[in-house]
Amino acid sequence: MLLLCVLVLSLVFVLPKQSRTLLQSIGQPLAQLLSLPLTVFASLDRGVQEVWNGYVALYQVSEENRQLRHELQVLRGRNNELRELGVAGQRLAAVLALKERLKAKTVAAQIIGRDATNWYQSIVLDKGARDGIGVEMGVMAPDGAVGRVVKVTPFTSMVLLITDPNNAVTGLIQRTRDEGIVEGTADGRARMKYIPLLATLQSGDVVVTSGLTGGFPRGIPMGTITRIDKAEGELFQSAEIVPEVDLHKLEEVLVITDPLPVGDEREGAGGRSGSAPAEARP
Amino acid sequence: MKPALYVALVLGLVPLQTSLAHYLSLGGVRPDLCLVAAGLIGFLAGPVEGVLIGIALGLTQDLFSAGALWLNVIVKGTVGLLAGLAGRQMTNATLATFVVTVGGLSVLAGLVFLFMVRGGGELSDRLAALPSILLPETLLNTALGAALYWLVPFRPSGEEEMERRPIGLVG
Repeated sequence: MLLLCVLVLSLVFVLPKQSRTLLQSIGQPLAQLLSLPLTVFASLDRGVQEVWNGYVALYQVSEENRQLRHELQVLRGRNNELRELGVAGQRLAAVLALKERLKAKTVAAQIIGRDATNWYQSIVLDKGARDGIGVEMGVMAPDGAVGRVVKVTPFTSMVLLITDPNNAVTGLIQRTRDEGIVEGTADGRARMKYIPLLATLQSGDVVVTSGLTGGFPRGIPMGTITRIDKAEGELFQSAEIVPEVDLHKLEEVLVITDPLPVGDEREGAGGRSGSAPAEARP
Repeated sequence: MKPALYVALVLGLVPLQTSLAHYLSLGGVRPDLCLVAAGLIGFLAGPVEGVLIGIALGLTQDLFSAGALWLNVIVKGTVGLLAGLAGRQMTNATLATFVVTVGGLSVLAGLVFLFMVRGGGELSDRLAALPSILLPETLLNTALGAALYWLVPFRPSGEEEMERRPIGLVG
């Protein structure tokens, strides 16, 4: 048998043309015969792959989807954190810019709460006596005056807002240079009282701190006049003021620990122009 | 257990009031947690505990308020005392009687504050404080007090209350 096989193989070399023809004639029907199971197996393979990819592998897709959703949530959270940090950075940059612009000595503080009762409009700061804060010091934000310190503990301080009816700070109408007393009102605004009758006020006039009382240097914006009350027979006129600072949205403030002269309203907070000469500390 | 609860109340309630109570606010007015706590403790535990916890809560509240350092001490101490006396006087301490007590004490405390804090202001400002502060605060205090009274686990049952009454101030 072995000898027969060796003989056939040697015929390929001895008679190559004839042997190739022979092999082709045998191979073609064999190939046809094999094509059927080959097709079946191929379709079976495709079916298995489709099933794998369409169903079994879906588990991985589902898992991947779950992970992607988780990552999306994490990234959204980080995005919000970054946005918040960006906003906080802007706020702090404004506070820092004000601190650098202002010639008075200041301490930056964060608001950590509101008054423990409903009867005062005051805020709690996270800085107290240990940080150099004392009673009667003025408190301001980048937009303008906020209030004055009324109570101090070693680590916290209470600030009575300019909108509290118990607060009174001397104000100056920037355009006319008339002085008056700015007090809070029950509706969360402020009112400037004791303005001379001859003062030519108009709606939109800006009221700034006079620097005489309240622990503020001169020229810090307090608010804008929205209504003027001039009653018949009264010795003074008064004006309703909308505070320059949105006191409900405050988060950081500057406590003026030493209100050194700021020179001019131009150098005060808010960058408002004015014509008052530099004045010594109150 | 009770002393620890009282210490936790004194240390925790005012920070809660200053920082988180605005979530319960009505028109910008928050409930007075210290008043409700002093009233509840006085009503349930008696006038002595009521006045002591009221004074302690009032002092911490005064530390974080722009007002004088004695006003809340007096007001909250009085609230605790009156709530305790009311609790002893009631034939049957129920949710309804507690609600009436806290509501009445809240109005009383509000009027004291109105007189003391806004007394020097214009009449219009004082009158404006009635619907803008006093009324919503009273409503919130009453609602919160009712909820806490209902939730509190150690409130006395009717029988316990009847047993407790003879040793109270009424005797």
